[in-house]
Amino acid sequence: VNLDPRSIPYRLLQQGGSVVLVLVFVVFGPAASEGGPVGLAIGLGLAVLLLAAVTGWQVAYYRRYEYELTPDTFDITSGVLSRRRREIPYTRIQNVDIAQNPVQRLLDIAEVRLETAGGGESEARLRYVAATEARRLQDEVGRRKRAVATEAATRSEGAEAAVAGEPGSRPSGVAGEPAEAVVPDSEELFALQNEELWVLGAVTADLRLLGVLATIAPFVAPAILEDLDPGLNLLLVGGAVLGLVALVGAWLASGIYAILRYYGFRLVRRGDELRYERGLLQQYSGSIPLEKIQTVSLAENVLARQLGYASVNIGTAGYAPGQTQGQRVQSAVPIAKRDRALSLARQVEPFGELTFERPPKRARLRYVVRYGLVVLGLVGLLGAGHLATDALPWWPAGVLGLALVPPAAHLKWANLGYHIGDEHVVTRHGFWVRQTTVVPYHRVQTVVRSRTVFQRRRDLGTLVVDTASGGGLRGSDAVALDLDAGRAATLLETVAARLQGALADQRARPRRESEAVG
Amino acid sequence: MTRETHDPADASSGGDEPRGDGEVSTVDDETPTDRERSQPEDAAGGESAPADAEAAVGDPETAVADAETAALDADAAATDSAYAAGGEDAAADAGGSGNAPPATDYGADRGPVRTLDTRVRLKWAGQVVLGTAVLGAIGGGLAVAFEPVEAWMVLAVTIPLLVLGLGWVWLRYRLWAFQFRTDHLFLERGVYRNVETVVPYVRIQHVDTSRGPVERVLGLSTLVVYTAGSRGADVAIPGLPAAEAESMQDRVKELAVAAEGGEGL
Repeated sequence: VNLDPRSIPYRLLQQGGSVVLVLVFVVFGPAASEGGPVGLAIGLGLAVLLLAAVTGWQVAYYRRYEYELTPDTFDITSGVLSRRRREIPYTRIQNVDIAQNPVQRLLDIAEVRLETAGGGESEARLRYVAATEARRLQDEVGRRKRAVATEAATRSEGAEAAVAGEPGSRPSGVAGEPAEAVVPDSEELFALQNEELWVLGAVTADLRLLGVLATIAPFVAPAILEDLDPGLNLLLVGGAVLGLVALVGAWLASGIYAILRYYGFRLVRRGDELRYERGLLQQYSGSIPLEKIQTVSLAENVLARQLGYASVNIGTAGYAPGQTQGQRVQSAVPIAKRDRALSLARQVEPFGELTFERPPKRARLRYVVRYGLVVLGLVGLLGAGHLATDALPWWPAGVLGLALVPPAAHLKWANLGYHIGDEHVVTRHGFWVRQTTVVPYHRVQTVVRSRTVFQRRRDLGTLVVDTASGGGLRGSDAVALDLDAGRAATLLETVAARLQGALADQRARPRRESEAVG
Repeated sequence: MTRETHDPADASSGGDEPRGDGEVSTVDDETPTDRERSQPEDAAGGESAPADAEAAVGDPETAVADAETAALDADAAATDSAYAAGGEDAAADAGGSGNAPPATDYGADRGPVRTLDTRVRLKWAGQVVLGTAVLGAIGGGLAVAFEPVEAWMVLAVTIPLLVLGLGWVWLRYRLWAFQFRTDHLFLERGVYRNVETVVPYVRIQHVDTSRGPVERVLGLSTLVVYTAGSRGADVAIPGLPAAEAESMQDRVKELAVAAEGGEGL
């Protein structure tokens, strides 16, 4: 099957930019100005040739790009000059994602991306097929994937066998009716409502900047205004206002970005995968195979917490589409009332009530000392600045910043916590953005207890439960900070033992059942 | 290393006390070597069960260890027990000394707590010496070029650094310990940040050995264990005698396959 013919003009348009640049160069460049009409003609001729070449290349690309759904694999044959033939086994395809920007939507075409577990990049990108064809591919690949898996399971050789014995083990009825003819039921789990979208926009801003500004401004502003001459003063005030405008602008921009990005967000469970759609301009549709889910985490920033909202992120193994590399976390619920978000998270990973244990109070003392040192360090810097430039005579007033230390330490401490459930270990941390990470025991990779010199002084330790997901900015790492060192050691053993227990349970159950959810 | 120079019988019973006693008494350098020589025969027998892992893995290493290292080790063991008795629970290898309760509970059916080859200290010390030498050379250059910097200043910086660095090497070696337990590999290391890692055999993706030029000269090898985890995805055990690293690599592979038992990621 070829790509959609409409992809030719679109791809041309994409390259149009560079072509136009060349044209401009030809018409207004040295050849035209110095060579006179002849030069211009030659230039135009060259430009036409170039245009023809580019068009020809695109047509050739289109004609020499073919894909095919075989019983076991997704085959792609591509390349204008150097040919490439790929056979991607269905069982290895994790996601089929569809992306559509406004222009593509106008042309009714879409990009299809096939993601496999390996690597940080899409395994294959079909640029571009008709929008309906994209949906068909998404469904079809999912269906065949299940068919192959069922086939393999019924032969009781495990899913791996289907891949290993590829050409020979052609499943009997796959081409037409697969072994599993049941159409997977789709169930809508979540749809972003309008007011939620607005809350999302308002709440998304990176509040840390504003927080910093709000803390510093009352200190700095009046003091600066007093002892500088009016001209410089004006400049400074102007600068401050500009900075404020920039901050508000950044806030607005990030809010608008979030609204555009998550407009019309829907999360649907379809068979053994979650599927989501989102986006106002750039439309995006992706899938998350349930069996690849490693962690579920709840993120609430300060504002959202005040309003009682939370978002749910899912950490998967391997590559997550639509994310920058190495960040294997994707949004399952951009924002919802906390209860709703929680119940949704529970549908994905059925964890029980969360009751958090906090670190011992001496951990809080540690933060007091830490923040206190930071403040004193800053005051020291101000003092040094005063000595060097004679400005900032009010520098000792910086010590007042120490008043912020105890509440800051308390907030940090109060948002920490961990919970050892029957089937999950849960950790929580962060004041600005509170992250609650749920890790099922059977997803644990390694368990780490670490103690720095300073932690050892207070007999504290940090427990890290590592999964195949994690890392990234929104970090789905399960980290329990500053526990009692002995407790951390016990938990190290407990989590490791429960991992073994969970794996044993899974082995006892039939394979398919263990992967289905609910 | 002395910690492996126990009777294999002790290893399978897993008791810490008998081993601890034995170790303190093996401070004379004759006994360990004799035991080492006698071990390879036992290895063939205990190959299959994971619980015997350490015994099997331990053998080639002890077999290649020469009397000289053994003597060094005996020395180290003596300092070790003194260290543990001093109440520092960070020394997880305290299990070897027997007179201080270990920080982590080492139960039955676990292998001996093992440390690195003593020669790894040479490598680390070499790094420290090289680092301070470079610093000293820069300082020397400054002393020549600028009036205010004088030779004693340079020495005043580099010599304490060197001492600190060597102390760090000594501590780092002291604190490095690992153990093959029933269903996971346990490691502890780190001076500033003391890290204990549990790597379940089920989670091991593959195992490498690597040898840098310095390590080759010293006859050492580094074992790297990879998991699919995001952080700590690779765990390295430096300073293993080359032959032991290889047999350990095979052993870990076997353990990983056995633990997996057909279960996917």
